[in-house]
Amino acid sequence: MAGDQKDIDLRTAINAISDVVQNRPRPLRLFDQIYMKAGDMVLQSELVARWADGKKLAFIGDGDAISVCVAYLHAREILEYGPSEIVVFDFDERICGAVSRFADKERLTGLRAELYNCLDAFPGPLDFDCFYTNPPWGASNDGESVKVFAQRGMEATSYRGEGMVVIADDVDLEWPKRVLANVQQFIIGAGFFVQRMMPQLHRYHLDDAPNLRSCNLIVKALPDNEAPGPSTAISDAARLAHFYGRDNPPKVRYIRERKRLDYGKAHDDEYSLELLE
Amino acid sequence: MLIILKPGQGLLYMKVGTHAQESLEDIIVRKTREIELAGFALWGYGGSTCHPQTMVQPFARSFEQRGQTIYLCMQPMESSHFAEPIRAEEYSVDGLAWQPIPQAINVLGSRYALAIRGLRKEEFDLPLAKTKVALGNSMGSNGDRYIAGRVDKACLEITEEIDTPVVPEPKVHISLVAEIVKPYAVHVRNSPK
Repeated sequence: MAGDQKDIDLRTAINAISDVVQNRPRPLRLFDQIYMKAGDMVLQSELVARWADGKKLAFIGDGDAISVCVAYLHAREILEYGPSEIVVFDFDERICGAVSRFADKERLTGLRAELYNCLDAFPGPLDFDCFYTNPPWGASNDGESVKVFAQRGMEATSYRGEGMVVIADDVDLEWPKRVLANVQQFIIGAGFFVQRMMPQLHRYHLDDAPNLRSCNLIVKALPDNEAPGPSTAISDAARLAHFYGRDNPPKVRYIRERKRLDYGKAHDDEYSLELLE
Repeated sequence: MLIILKPGQGLLYMKVGTHAQESLEDIIVRKTREIELAGFALWGYGGSTCHPQTMVQPFARSFEQRGQTIYLCMQPMESSHFAEPIRAEEYSVDGLAWQPIPQAINVLGSRYALAIRGLRKEEFDLPLAKTKVALGNSMGSNGDRYIAGRVDKACLEITEEIDTPVVPEPKVHISLVAEIVKPYAVHVRNSPK
């Protein structure tokens, strides 16, 4: 990890995040795509860039576009540090397309995206130094959905790297505490330990729980840890029964993008023109 | 049948008023007629606090499995709702398979709809402080604290404290109720994609 947090030009950083937000596809709530608020994205991106400085970083899902923020802030020298390479694995082709288009437009050579559903075996490569995931938070499945994403992250590092898992963290509600406990047990069972927990950091555009926050759970593999076996598809019905909420198992392999020419602009089916007389 | 609030009872609470430029009184007349003609009505709504698939369907299913009737308990309020009264042509339980909405049923200016019958005026106080959010990201939150600001509807469960009188306690006045029936809640859209 790069040293302590350095001073950054906040106005420039926020404007850079604004470029990324403008580029994101609109969220699909059905798949728990819930976007982090912009101020928290600035601080989270700085933290991730520092944590993964000089390393190869896998994002297991990334609707928020923290991956793009990190790469962009580094490339524009708003941050002096950042990962050497970033790969985003997401089952939403709109998100992969948005990452690829932004990387191409801004010449972010160390950033790419790959269409991947985390229920399938992880395609590799398996030599990532670290992973980042902000998965469906598992309110209705005691964290089972978080475990699936964290498992793919650990696989991406061959169970030898570090990870940052972003999950719900609330003082009053019971379910986030159960999820946090279950996820920590799962991670420890896989030969990792919790290196750091940063409580109640981020807020979201979440209208049914506007005050619910998330934490960063930073984990690291024990020395000489080994992968339990090759990556395989996850099809255990009990594990998936409540993946996207109670009685909502995954049914969709990929969200496909309807191709268009006006990304990031008003769609021509949103308006019509009434001409001057 | 009068609704009796007892511990463990599930209900869907919703503030209602003018919708898509139509007054509540007119909506009630129209929906009552739809129930007479079609056997049920689709009660349109929006927002994502009561998403059909992630919230209402699993909520209603779980309480129905316990032998309960799920009531929609509505609190009338003054409101303006300027959405265009565009009729939905199709509905879908899962957002994948779409079917035409029966001609007798008109859902206007909405993205989602509850399947209801037994729509009637019924007056009672609902002590929101003795309810909790039944599922989702706010599961377990106190109903009184949850229904605030822009949150105007919720899948709630009556808590054990319902029989414990507390004076004074925050209440909302319910004036309109209906039974929620299968498929409980659906997506609606005005034109095929």
